[in-house]
Amino acid sequence: MASRTRPTTQSPPLPAGLTREQLLGIYRYLRLTRTLEERLTALYRQSKVIGGLFRSLGQEGESVGSAYALERGKNGDILSPLIRNLGSMLVMGARPVEILRQYMAKADGPTRGRELNVHFNDLELGYLGQISHLGDMIPVMAGITLTFKLRGEPRVGLVYIGDGGTSTGTFHEGLNFAAVQRCPLVVIAEYNRWAYSTPPEKQFAVKDLVDKAKGYGVAAATVDGNDVLAVYQATKLAVERARGGAGVQFLEVKTYRRKGHAEHDDQHYEPPDELDWWAKQNDPIDRYVKQLIQHDWVDERELSDVDEHVRVEIDEATDACVDEPLPQGETALPGVYANPRAAERLWFRNL
Amino acid sequence: MARVDVLMPQMGESIAEGTVSKWLKKLGDPVKRDEPLFEISTDKVDAEIPSPTAGVLAEIRVQEGQTVPVQTLVAVIETDKSATVQPAAAAAPSAAAPPPKPAAAPGPPPPAPPASPALDRPRPPSTAPVGKGGDGTETADERLRRRSTPLVRKIAAEHSVDISTISGTGFAGRVTKQDILGFIERGAPAAPVSRLPAAAPSGPVPHPTVEPWPGDRVEPFSKIRKITADHMIMSRRTSAHVTSFFEVDYTRVAELRRKHKAAYAERGVNLTYLAFIAKACAENLRRHPVVNAAVSGDNIIYRGEVNIGIAVALEWGLIVPVVKHVDELSLVGIARAINDLGERARTKKLLPDEIQRGTFTITNPGVFGSYAGAPIINQPQVAILGVGTIEKRPKVVTLPDGTDTIAIRTLGMVSMSYDHRVVDGADADRFLADVKRMLEDFPEGAI
Amino acid sequence: MPEVTYLEALRQGLWEEMERDDRVFILGEDVGLYGGAFKVTEGFSQRFGAQRVIDTPISEAAIVGAAAGAAHMGMRPVAEMQFIDFVSCAYDMLTNYVATARYRAGLATPLVVRGPCGGYVRGGPFHSQNPEAAFFHTPGLKIVYPATARDAKGLIKASIRDDDPVLYLEHKWLYRRIKEQLPEGEEIVTPIGEARLAREGTDLSIVTYGATVWKSLEAAEQLEQEDGVAAEVLDLRTLLPMDDAAIMRTVKKTNKVLLVHEDTRTGGVAGEIAARINEQAFEWLDAPIKRVTAHDVPLPYAPTLEDFVLPQTEDIVKAARWLAAY
Repeated sequence: MASRTRPTTQSPPLPAGLTREQLLGIYRYLRLTRTLEERLTALYRQSKVIGGLFRSLGQEGESVGSAYALERGKNGDILSPLIRNLGSMLVMGARPVEILRQYMAKADGPTRGRELNVHFNDLELGYLGQISHLGDMIPVMAGITLTFKLRGEPRVGLVYIGDGGTSTGTFHEGLNFAAVQRCPLVVIAEYNRWAYSTPPEKQFAVKDLVDKAKGYGVAAATVDGNDVLAVYQATKLAVERARGGAGVQFLEVKTYRRKGHAEHDDQHYEPPDELDWWAKQNDPIDRYVKQLIQHDWVDERELSDVDEHVRVEIDEATDACVDEPLPQGETALPGVYANPRAAERLWFRNL
Repeated sequence: MARVDVLMPQMGESIAEGTVSKWLKKLGDPVKRDEPLFEISTDKVDAEIPSPTAGVLAEIRVQEGQTVPVQTLVAVIETDKSATVQPAAAAAPSAAAPPPKPAAAPGPPPPAPPASPALDRPRPPSTAPVGKGGDGTETADERLRRRSTPLVRKIAAEHSVDISTISGTGFAGRVTKQDILGFIERGAPAAPVSRLPAAAPSGPVPHPTVEPWPGDRVEPFSKIRKITADHMIMSRRTSAHVTSFFEVDYTRVAELRRKHKAAYAERGVNLTYLAFIAKACAENLRRHPVVNAAVSGDNIIYRGEVNIGIAVALEWGLIVPVVKHVDELSLVGIARAINDLGERARTKKLLPDEIQRGTFTITNPGVFGSYAGAPIINQPQVAILGVGTIEKRPKVVTLPDGTDTIAIRTLGMVSMSYDHRVVDGADADRFLADVKRMLEDFPEGAI
Repeated sequence: MPEVTYLEALRQGLWEEMERDDRVFILGEDVGLYGGAFKVTEGFSQRFGAQRVIDTPISEAAIVGAAAGAAHMGMRPVAEMQFIDFVSCAYDMLTNYVATARYRAGLATPLVVRGPCGGYVRGGPFHSQNPEAAFFHTPGLKIVYPATARDAKGLIKASIRDDDPVLYLEHKWLYRRIKEQLPEGEEIVTPIGEARLAREGTDLSIVTYGATVWKSLEAAEQLEQEDGVAAEVLDLRTLLPMDDAAIMRTVKKTNKVLLVHEDTRTGGVAGEIAARINEQAFEWLDAPIKRVTAHDVPLPYAPTLEDFVLPQTEDIVKAARWLAAY
């Protein structure tokens, strides 16, 4: 079954409410995401990033487009990214040098070497990193948005879940709870066609993820995930409705995972012609560039300037931290509890 | 010019090795940062590996087709970035067969774990808490030296060995399995060696400190004082002290003394009450062996000899010379021995052997006027007899016709402290009753 | 005899049981066409068909629950947790339902739940766990944890054949690092509940399981060479039911014991072993029972942090030296 979803919403001739600067800004985030991931991949193959490396190639559009629709900054909206939502984190203000430090387990990284890749937070900037157990972030975000509601704050939460993730118990419990509580929560279900090697036919018995949403009694919509502006608009609509008190909004974005599950997966199970089509005919950045140029919103030189700036920015960020030290072993001990402050050093390490 | 290492990457958690399948650059080729340098193949995936830096491919360490563990140095790039410090190579996961460490990685090494102190002889930290038992201030180390471990106690019990007599080479000086097995193998005597009565077997006893006030005079213990102080504490801790008080009617003894004193003096012997008492004790220690014993672990040692120590109060302290084989001596022999030992104690002429191997002790607080005392047992014995002052006192006596009257008799208390671990009240009192009876009916023939 | 890795031996064991017994089937995420995240079931789907190698949704609770139902019906399911860290999603089914089924309802539930566990691979807190302690106190479950290729094979076969539910913990760091020559044409089944003496010695005993068996063997070699101390190493292989007799035998032989495991200290299996030694062999102890374990912290990602938190060969050597000198 080929997956060649036609765009279900037309890209609007004029993107509502966006200025030229903002259009360029969106482009910058797309390019930044992709270039940063390329650098991370290289670093992984150079043994500087260890553990594993997961890319969002082909999904940059839906990450950036959806996050861009949120109120950013302190006391703004909060999103919870998954492993392929690096773009969302960059939009919320995560800095490439921090991300590089985190991936490379540097002592000065956001989690001081304790956690991998995107598993880190900045609640002031507005992102709450995941843990590996999929679905777990949904009840957590339900709780966060419930607090917004209880405090009467006009803030919204946004949580991502993959097509595979919708099979977990915590997805079900979290979404159900949020729905019943009418939390101001936007759930972005990324139908990217692959959960590791498992296709949707083996994951669920409905055709589209919006079909599941019906079961929870929440408003749902689908959007072409590789049309950045469409994702932006659809998310903006959902966010406004949530902020207005309409409860949980479920937005399915149709996209495609163009790399394997992680760097060590050669994705041989993905039909090559399908992969090829998505890469050549439906790359979100290519489509966006085409739109920008066609509609004369920006010119090519401005785009290549951004490309160059992004390249330099990533190089500088890498140079800044690639040689930084790893954390000292003993720094693993503090912080298990507020009180006591640190775990004991075990006796055989004291000898 | 700086040299940057290129390592075999780890593509996946369980991957332990990789094969260089193809070099994409030759030695001496220039290479840009992130430009593909070589191809690898692993159990899971094949991949192109990009160069970590711009520069020139200066060394190739692993050839095409060669399989090496992850983190192995595969190539070296020479870069003209000045003073590039080598990145800390991601530390190789420790392996059962450790992969070769990447060669020549200068620069900040991965932070080493804090250096551990030199281990020439590992000093295990004391893991047992400091004892604050109700019994005193025994520390964990002391307890360990005294009681060692379950295994050593088991071996000691099986062979009737006193752990405290063995020198220990283990932690805190404790007796180890090897120590006790060696001790047994060498045929060391099962019974503990008799010690100086005043010596504390487990080393000096720490006495609590007290702040002196202005006007106080502080004087450090003399050796004999230290020995006495330690022994008194140790004895109290060791034995279950109980004291039994008997009143003895010495009227007959007094009579005998009066009668024979002169004759004894001619022979150079001072016939003291102490001699009579010692004679009475000697006879009865044979009859009540539990009072002439020692406690060792869970064993009672019934002494083969009867050696009575006579405590002597000197200006500089207390000393207990011992009359050996008292049960073999006559009254005059005992008297002479007591005189002699007392004299030589006062002139500091006692031999070491003369203050050892006592099996029973007599002390004489009565000489200073004390009515009765409750003396501390002289370890490792189980009983000590205190003789109270002997003087004329009124006493109720029954006349031959059955009437009672008050008479003036020579009376004195004897108080025996005994170790209730092995000497029961009945034992002690039967012994004392016999001693009393003998003194009250002292056989003239024994003189 | 060919040399096989721990992973290949596990695969062989699974394959042989699938061939031998039609009732055996596998279910888990990406186990079929993909052959499993670590390739344990590579080729199985092609050989045994999609009905016996089932690709499931991401639903650990459903996987274990469904395995239980199939087991009641006489099947012998082998449920894979892609990383054993995700068995926590099935904790309810495994402890409340599966472990109690025979006791409360007479329901046979002969299933195996298996998955890659363990660290030293820089996987961070959710790809490195050793969860045995969480299930150890659950009556009704058996827990096995092979350290050698031979036992990886022998124990998976024994677990599948066992009539009780078994939690089979395979160490991902050992997967490709351990190779062993296994005899062909010989049925290799490791009895559950039986420990293995990995190395004989006289001066002290190291009781351990999993990856730390190898670190203990390294340590024992070092102690022999440098200190002249002969350490005995006991590989437990089964945690539940534990081989008390083997443990007491080694304690009575050397009188000094060091317990080593990769799991954290508090509530780790070593505490239970120490209590049993105290109960059954107190009189043979010539030193306190000591433990070398991970620190009580979630497992961090950075190599320097992970190396500090997890027990290393050098820690075992130091601890053994302390014991030897006691």
